Amino acid sequence: MKTFAASSVLALVAGLGLATAALADGEFAGITIDAKLIGGQQYEALYARIPEWEAKSGAKVNIVSQKNHFELDKEFKADIASGSITWCVGSNHSSFSPQYPQLYTDLTPLIPTETVAGFVGANIAAATLDGKLVMLPRAQFDVSALYYQKSLYADPAKAEAFKAKYGYDLAVPETWDQVRDQAMFFADPPNFYGTQYAGKEEGITGRFYEMVVADGGKMFNDDFSPAFNSPEGKMALQWFVDLYKAGAVPPGTTNYLWDDLGNGFASGTIALNLDWPGWSGFFNDPAASKASGNVGVAPAPKGAAGVRTGWSGFHGFSVTEACPNKEAAASLVDFLTNEDSQTLESAAGPLPTRTAVWDKVIAAAASDPYKSEVLAAFQETAKTAFPVPKTPYWIEASNLIYPELQAAILGDKTVDEALQAASDAVDGLMRENGVY
Amino acid sequence: MYRMRLPPWLLLLLPAFVILLAVVAIPLVLSFYSSFTAFQLTRPETITKWIGTFNYQKAMGDANFWAAFGRTVLLLTVALNLEMLLGLGLALMVAKVTRGQRLLRTMMMFPMMFSPILVGFQFKFIFNDNVGLLNNALQSLGLTDVAIPWLVDGSLAFFAIVFAEVWTSTSVFAILILAGLFAIPQDPVEAARVDGCTPWQTFRYVTLPFLMPFIYIAMAIRSLDVARAYDIVQVMTAGGPARRTELLWTLIGRTGYVDARMGYANAMGYIAILLSIVFTVYFFRKLTTARTSLGMGD
Repeated sequence: MKTFAASSVLALVAGLGLATAALADGEFAGITIDAKLIGGQQYEALYARIPEWEAKSGAKVNIVSQKNHFELDKEFKADIASGSITWCVGSNHSSFSPQYPQLYTDLTPLIPTETVAGFVGANIAAATLDGKLVMLPRAQFDVSALYYQKSLYADPAKAEAFKAKYGYDLAVPETWDQVRDQAMFFADPPNFYGTQYAGKEEGITGRFYEMVVADGGKMFNDDFSPAFNSPEGKMALQWFVDLYKAGAVPPGTTNYLWDDLGNGFASGTIALNLDWPGWSGFFNDPAASKASGNVGVAPAPKGAAGVRTGWSGFHGFSVTEACPNKEAAASLVDFLTNEDSQTLESAAGPLPTRTAVWDKVIAAAASDPYKSEVLAAFQETAKTAFPVPKTPYWIEASNLIYPELQAAILGDKTVDEALQAASDAVDGLMRENGVY
Repeated sequence: MYRMRLPPWLLLLLPAFVILLAVVAIPLVLSFYSSFTAFQLTRPETITKWIGTFNYQKAMGDANFWAAFGRTVLLLTVALNLEMLLGLGLALMVAKVTRGQRLLRTMMMFPMMFSPILVGFQFKFIFNDNVGLLNNALQSLGLTDVAIPWLVDGSLAFFAIVFAEVWTSTSVFAILILAGLFAIPQDPVEAARVDGCTPWQTFRYVTLPFLMPFIYIAMAIRSLDVARAYDIVQVMTAGGPARRTELLWTLIGRTGYVDARMGYANAMGYIAILLSIVFTVYFFRKLTTARTSLGMGD
């Protein structure tokens, strides 16, 4: 009876959303929430809202660490290892979160159902690991669309030469095969390159992963044994190899990560660039980009299976299992991801993860053709986006896969040899960890 | 009642012992112990999962580990010798300067003041194949019409890393050798001149033997540094592409902190320490020999 009564009260509280949505004045007075948050200029505007939550809740937020996600990841691992998880709220990322199965608490009992329902379903699904909602996504949804230089498609001489060589009209590419053709056609090294790609760490593994999916394959089987050493995997890797061999990408691309790629396209020396939404403003800013005024954005092209590439990820906030004030922490997480917060963040360019904010952003961009084009391209790509495989060994597997992908791209190994070596290494990793 | 009294020398040394135990011995023992376990940072309970010598056997049988080991030895050999030669040349030139020497000595130390991370970013930008300073300069001067993949080609990337290491640390040699030059007694130098030695003979048979102890000290210090090379390489190439510039500590760092496999990383670390021990012992032996030949005793 007692249990029934207690659970009824809990259900009522959860149902009415008293814990977070209807935050009472001074509800968490005297509580201090220690937080470890991602740092960087683009993330700061949101943190400027924290005093608003402090004033309403009566609690204090103490930001004990602000670093990029790679550094935070190391810090979290060190905290877990040393048993010093003395903080409550942490920035999280869909690519990193599967690594810490015990670090974060399930937000389901702490966040009202209708609040969760306000998020894009796919994002909530990706934020749910083993049935636990481990984070609420913030307005930092990442999926890549195709940026291109518009002038390349307005030159009749180029169009004629392209058709003569490839037998079809030169138009903004809709498939990755077309991207390959066009990248080779546009390339004029060392002054101009057809395209570029992230060439190391999770960057190249992620790009390869989405290409495998777009070609109809998969990265892992259901038991998480490697599945990428397949005809689709070989087709996907061959695409990267072909472009490198043809000199259609900068020779240093195997060392490039996001900043190198962004600055490369902004230097005006790259024709086609699959990249994240956060760059859209930078690419069209006359003060920062030589490509400004000449930037077009199209949805991510499709692979051989007619599927768009769509490796996606998003930032979010989580509450630690060790937090003594989970309700207050969850209230802060709710506040940082609510409609107002997401509207504020997405006004600067990043994509929201709340359905209502998507509508607002699209309406606000109606008078700006470039912004509208950007949003339309990313919205279309987001429809079929997919997160990284939900295994705690994704990053570790990626670290075994990417040197082999690089070896194939640079010609140290054949595609077959590289994928066999990567597959063997990942298989060993999974077996060593008792995954199967 | 008998009250134990510690001898004063032990009492005075006790704080040092306690601090050494806390900051050196305990972490050392713990990391050594964990190298025999399946310790993963994200699963603290694995620190008690004893797996014997599995991690060591795995490292010993891993071709990538030994390739990184060999590359680290090569980097050590090339960087140390280049730094020694350039540092010696720099010190000899600065020693000849009579006006503004203090300013020169300060300027010489500038590269040492930069954080290795900053040095890494600086050279990563300089050697970038597309927007880098070096390729743009070479192309503008008409010396090449291709984008040289400085940080991709195995040999060129190795050169770029050596260049960054040499740029940042040649002054260690220069400063120590300069100190040695100031400490050389002038009598043997003057005697050599009086006896008709050429400047080269004076340098080769009088100055250089006096400098050798300083050179070996610099070598020992820098060998420990280079054997632990991480920051600059991590920023410039992260050990890639395709493991072409993988060094021991980029591999160990990634295994320990990114893959969270600290037990395995520690096992690799303990094997890697052998490298530092071998080089340190070698340079200290050379140092002792050099000092003995100068009649400076053991």
